[in-house]
Amino acid sequence: MSFDHLAGTALPGGDARISAAEDRRLVEAIGGVPDPSGALHPLWAFVAMRGGVGVTIPELFALVEFDVADGPMIGSTELEWRRPLQAGEAYRVGGEIVGVERRHGRRTGAFDLMRVRERLLDGDGAEVATAAHAFVLPRRGAA
Amino acid sequence: VSDALAAWAVESVSAERMRALAAVLGDPNPIHLDAAAVRALGLGDRQINQGPANLGYVINMLQAALPGAAFAGLRVRFLAPVFAGDRAVAGGRVEARAAGRVDAAVWLDVDGGPRAVEGTATLILPPD
Repeated sequence: MSFDHLAGTALPGGDARISAAEDRRLVEAIGGVPDPSGALHPLWAFVAMRGGVGVTIPELFALVEFDVADGPMIGSTELEWRRPLQAGEAYRVGGEIVGVERRHGRRTGAFDLMRVRERLLDGDGAEVATAAHAFVLPRRGAA
Repeated sequence: VSDALAAWAVESVSAERMRALAAVLGDPNPIHLDAAAVRALGLGDRQINQGPANLGYVINMLQAALPGAAFAGLRVRFLAPVFAGDRAVAGGRVEARAAGRVDAAVWLDVDGGPRAVEGTATLILPPD
């Protein structure tokens, strides 16, 4: 089944505001050290956009008829920061599906590679960070 | 210019921390929560660490090695899973340093296993 029609589809978008307490929870989960200056851990460039783009991981994969229980993996990520993210600052998140390609691996068999791009804007509309992800969706039993 | 960045290690990747991160991420993928789900998918016999956590280890390594530096770019491929109980070691090597900017190769290795993450990072050093 082709999902070519999804290329360029805008994701709903939404708002993101990360508190210092949320930052501490994330930092603790990955064994890092909170920044005393109030700057968020750089990993929030990934997490805030995923959380604020208006579609959950299961909802995103449902667009290509993939169940999150079937073991999706992330294949690659590219993050760019224009400046550090700050605790308590209001951001706007946008994004789109770049495309979905069927691939075949010798070990993995058939899988779909779903590419998504996201961006984080500040209150003035200036870009703060961008992300591009490729998700690997195994298609067990598919040709 | 080529100099190693100090390694940063997680002595034992924690299933409990995977559960905590799943709550932060809003990611219900059962491979991070339930070893039985991992076995059922033929992916191994222990919970699989989230990709963002593996990326976080690389970021922690860079923060420790280059204190005060601002992140400008990070591009990685996730090559292999990291499992609960694994010892994971993030490392890096400066490839270029000019005009306050550092370009580095970065990675995450698992003791006794294949390389889990590989990529490049660009950071802006704080003014002297």
